[in-house]
Amino acid sequence: MEKILLLLHTNEDGALPKAALEAVTAAKRLVEALPGSSLTLGLVGSEIQEAANAVANCGAARILGVAGEAFATARYATDAAAAEAIARAAQASLIMAPGTSRWSRVLAGVAQRLGGKVDTHVVSVAVENGAPAIRRWYYRQRMEALTSRTDRPWVIALDAGAQPAWTGDSAPASVEMLTVETPEAMSRTTVTGFQAPETGGQTIRPDAALLFVAGAGWTKKQPDGDVHASEAADLILGFLRQTKASLGSTKSLVDLSGEGQAVLPFLTHLHQVGQTGATPRHPKGLATCCHGEEPHVVGWRFINERRAVNLDANCGWARGKADVLYVADAFEVIRAIRALLNEG
Amino acid sequence: MSTGYQIVVLSGLAPDPLQTLEPVTGASGPALKNEMMLPAVLDPWASHALYEAAHLAGKAPGSKVWLVSLAPKAKLQQVMMTIAQKAPFELVALDCPAGGFTDSAEAAAALASAVEALPGLDRSRLLVFGGWESATRGAGATLQMAGEQLGIMDQFQGVDLLEFQADGSMRVLERVEGGRQQVSLCAGPPALFGWATGTLPEPPNQPQLGMANMRAIMPALQKAKPVQVGAAGVTYHSVSLPRQQRETRIAKDMPPAEIAREIVDWIKG
Amino acid sequence: MSTEPADRPSMDVDVVCVGFGPATGGFLTTLARRVAPEDGGAPLESRVMPGLPLQVICYERADDIGFGVSGVVTRARGIRASFPALDPAEIPMAAPVGEEKVLYLLDPHGASRRSAALASADKLIRAARAVLPYEHMALELPFTPEFLHKRGGLVLSIGQFNQWVGQQLMMTGAVQVWPASPVAEPLFEETGVAGVRLADQPSLPGMDVRAALTVVGDGPVGGVGRKLDEKFGLPEGNARHEWAVGMKMVVELPEGVDLKPGTVLHTLGYPEPEIFGFFYVHPDNVASVGIFVPSWLESPVRTAYRYLQHYIQHPYLWRYLKGGKLRSWGAKSIEESGRRGEPRLAGNGYARIGEGSGSTNVLTGSGVDEAWTTGVLLAEGVIEILERGEPFTAGNLERAYVARRRASRLEQESRQAEKARDGFHRGFVRGLAGMALAGLTGGRMWMPGKHLPPQARFKTAEEFFAGRISREEIQKIRQDCARRGKPLHDALMERVGWPPIPYDGQLLVSHQDALLMGGKVQAPSGLPDHVVFLYPNLCETCGTRVCVEICSGEAIHPGEAGMPVFDREKCVHCGACLWNCSVETPEGTTNIDFRPGPGGLHSAEN
Repeated sequence: MEKILLLLHTNEDGALPKAALEAVTAAKRLVEALPGSSLTLGLVGSEIQEAANAVANCGAARILGVAGEAFATARYATDAAAAEAIARAAQASLIMAPGTSRWSRVLAGVAQRLGGKVDTHVVSVAVENGAPAIRRWYYRQRMEALTSRTDRPWVIALDAGAQPAWTGDSAPASVEMLTVETPEAMSRTTVTGFQAPETGGQTIRPDAALLFVAGAGWTKKQPDGDVHASEAADLILGFLRQTKASLGSTKSLVDLSGEGQAVLPFLTHLHQVGQTGATPRHPKGLATCCHGEEPHVVGWRFINERRAVNLDANCGWARGKADVLYVADAFEVIRAIRALLNEG
Repeated sequence: MSTGYQIVVLSGLAPDPLQTLEPVTGASGPALKNEMMLPAVLDPWASHALYEAAHLAGKAPGSKVWLVSLAPKAKLQQVMMTIAQKAPFELVALDCPAGGFTDSAEAAAALASAVEALPGLDRSRLLVFGGWESATRGAGATLQMAGEQLGIMDQFQGVDLLEFQADGSMRVLERVEGGRQQVSLCAGPPALFGWATGTLPEPPNQPQLGMANMRAIMPALQKAKPVQVGAAGVTYHSVSLPRQQRETRIAKDMPPAEIAREIVDWIKG
Repeated sequence: MSTEPADRPSMDVDVVCVGFGPATGGFLTTLARRVAPEDGGAPLESRVMPGLPLQVICYERADDIGFGVSGVVTRARGIRASFPALDPAEIPMAAPVGEEKVLYLLDPHGASRRSAALASADKLIRAARAVLPYEHMALELPFTPEFLHKRGGLVLSIGQFNQWVGQQLMMTGAVQVWPASPVAEPLFEETGVAGVRLADQPSLPGMDVRAALTVVGDGPVGGVGRKLDEKFGLPEGNARHEWAVGMKMVVELPEGVDLKPGTVLHTLGYPEPEIFGFFYVHPDNVASVGIFVPSWLESPVRTAYRYLQHYIQHPYLWRYLKGGKLRSWGAKSIEESGRRGEPRLAGNGYARIGEGSGSTNVLTGSGVDEAWTTGVLLAEGVIEILERGEPFTAGNLERAYVARRRASRLEQESRQAEKARDGFHRGFVRGLAGMALAGLTGGRMWMPGKHLPPQARFKTAEEFFAGRISREEIQKIRQDCARRGKPLHDALMERVGWPPIPYDGQLLVSHQDALLMGGKVQAPSGLPDHVVFLYPNLCETCGTRVCVEICSGEAIHPGEAGMPVFDREKCVHCGACLWNCSVETPEGTTNIDFRPGPGGLHSAEN
């Protein structure tokens, strides 16, 4: 018997992020798998009624809300206070939430305030021996564990992209609004806005169908003995424009950018995938000029269909990890792809 | 008059990212195979935090940097040989066999207690730094919990930039969804920062700094306080390596035009 | 000559050491006990920082103190003397030596180049195999000759041993060891050495570390040792003509293989008669297996990696290794001239220890414990000099260190070994006979041979494969390989009967995968190449390009028109290129310079 609270926040535009709807799916499944358990929704944002209406039909017994200007932006002090208030009001034993950047900032702190424990980057929640159990990755996505906890409340932050988004009709929802005091000490921080890093255009697209991974080979000496970094840059950016793919890069290439080598000027550490970078989720991935072993392969741990272009047929990076390895010069291949896409 | 900041960097160790890792079941739950033989590094994101801390401290006279580290002493010793030439800091060593399978709450409690015990700690100047996630547990939870224990209400995660303004306030860039960064202004310390990569490259080795650091690091290592950090209340049902080995079709000697055609079809398909 | 940067930092210490291997381990272990006496006695006082204890600092090139070294079976006499209470169980991968065997391996493929005499011997062995201690195409020698045995010794991973020694040293607080800190060169002053200059970093000129004593233990291809040799020359009659590249794998043995830790196999005869091999068993079902490819192997396509792949598949070994997993891999140059390659051991302000000081015993095939002992002997001398309040002059070091070395068992044993391998210069059978003679007579008898520098011994592919592959075909293979940017060895070896490697993705892996899986090879960016072709135009005239074939990491590979190109991200810093260049520069050196630089292997299991 668990009292499950699903904590959601709105986007700046008042709507729920996709990750929130994915978390609804996970929470519903768990409630259904645990007889006798109940689901409460908790919503935080400047205005939450519309969001509450959007998930009114998900099967929650109660909807609790904290709203107001103080909760419009992602700020630790106010977000933690709101989440804490909702969790206490719901008397939740299990608190599930999407692992958005906003919730990731506060959930562990909230668990601490509630005297509970937290697990983050949870990929799935299931029932094991009659109790909830979670799957998550350790050592930078290199090993996966199935665990459960006896301590309650138990806060579970779910990774985005790991389950389908819940869909359902909107309906008028009744929200129990909670009042959360926001003393001055909570507004020592103000969010002033957002900025995109100077990457020469949008190249990180989490919702893209394709992840394009650029490896260090792009900036190595080519058969004519020279480095062709500017052509590589043109080819890659052109490909990204044409395909609307998201760009990832290996650590070695990103590091080079920071150190004034012949590099691709638009790469930043935000693009880094793999051991010390991100592990994005996309339906397809195309790796070019990548070479490395297990540590780097984690960069496309969550890519469903994988193809690679590089010059080494025995490359451990691609063999056994990709569906198709094309042994070829990536410059020539991408050039040809760009020409085809232009025609099309 | 500024008296500078008190920057405390919290960090564990991680296996050198190049190593091959394999889980085994040890006496107290899951562990890494040959854990004590694997070369270790300071947790990569926490290293960035340390470099940023040293950089900030260098710009604000009167500042001080502590590195509070939770790790097996023998490994910490080894890591100090590489890290101590990079940035000036005072080490506080907590000796415990902390790997990725311990609980962040326990790690946070041990770290926060060590911070509270720092002599001369002035919370009005305190900045707690760390990596936004470890390369072991990868939870991104320890810092927040330690921050709560220390009563810090201004916390930032995925930090790429921290700039002090003329009025003493802090401008912070945090990574958020979609390759964007959230910009915040914070009135001043105390505050907590979980660093992503930051903006600084790895500093060069500075031998003089190393010599000076090491004179204090050795006694700190010798005094390393043994602490217990486990995963009470957690049951590991299984820990496994991803096994799926794909049947890779290797296309050799295919003309680039043909490869391009196949890839375009696949992208569009 | 580059201009001197105005902001080059400088620092003063008492003793600076170059390279942290077994020799420096022995030196620092002995010295640290006197710098910070456990009994609370007065420490040795610093001369540069009065009031503080002696300031002793060691700089190591590799990224950690256990990287880029190799495992060994050693009698460990010196090591045990330093640690009388040593429990091998404290050191990961260490085991006391148990069963030892010497095996002569026959060639299952008939692809190696064997002399007529050897071929007849092989025939005889096969014919009489029913009555000989013969199994799995190997003949077991009835006993391990006294000079080879390692009874009472240890099977070690030097990586783990070095880390362990480093930990012991750090706990004393008396000395500092800094990895990832390559030393560029010695600081010469008047008649001697006044310290070292660290290598430049991307944003910082290398620091000058000035010291009253510079201890050089940077191994056989270390930059500082070589600069000293250039400046001061080797003693009359000494030369470094004999080399080998040692390449090994650390293998997790498959389940069901039940070999006792401490089991030691020495092999000879295969994959080429000149290539010796080894197989040591560590605790927890892990083994080290490797080969030595010597400079007197005349093949110009002397690829240690390909030969190692064939070696591990020899039926005698493959029954243990098949199904095993590669845990670690690495290679290093070994200076095999031994006593004959000894440099000037000391001069004003400096002393040489370890393999680079000619301590390796070429008869017993042993170097680690010898290196350790040279470090101990130097430390004893240094303590004596410091206690007397004397300066580190050539004379004082001669008395306190060199004389100690001359009086030690090292000297006696290395003299016995000095000529033991001379016979190999005249063939494998004479070489073996020479070793046996020297070993059994305590060095009083040996098989003479002609000493030539390695580059004078290279044969062209046409010469080496004469009678097996026609000149025309070799030419064709050469052109084809150049066109494909491949070294020659795979094509030529397969042409003479070496079977293709059946890659299994676990142990039989491509050379590049070995770098990634076993070596985790790294090169920090933003630094100049450490392997340099001094006169690139001279490479055009080179007929052999042995540098490409021997390269342990395929870091030197054929570029346009087959010209060698260096890729630092694949370099394991074995230094084999240094002694595998056949082109002479106007200055009389070979055309490859191997400079100090960080990076290389990231495995401490070797």
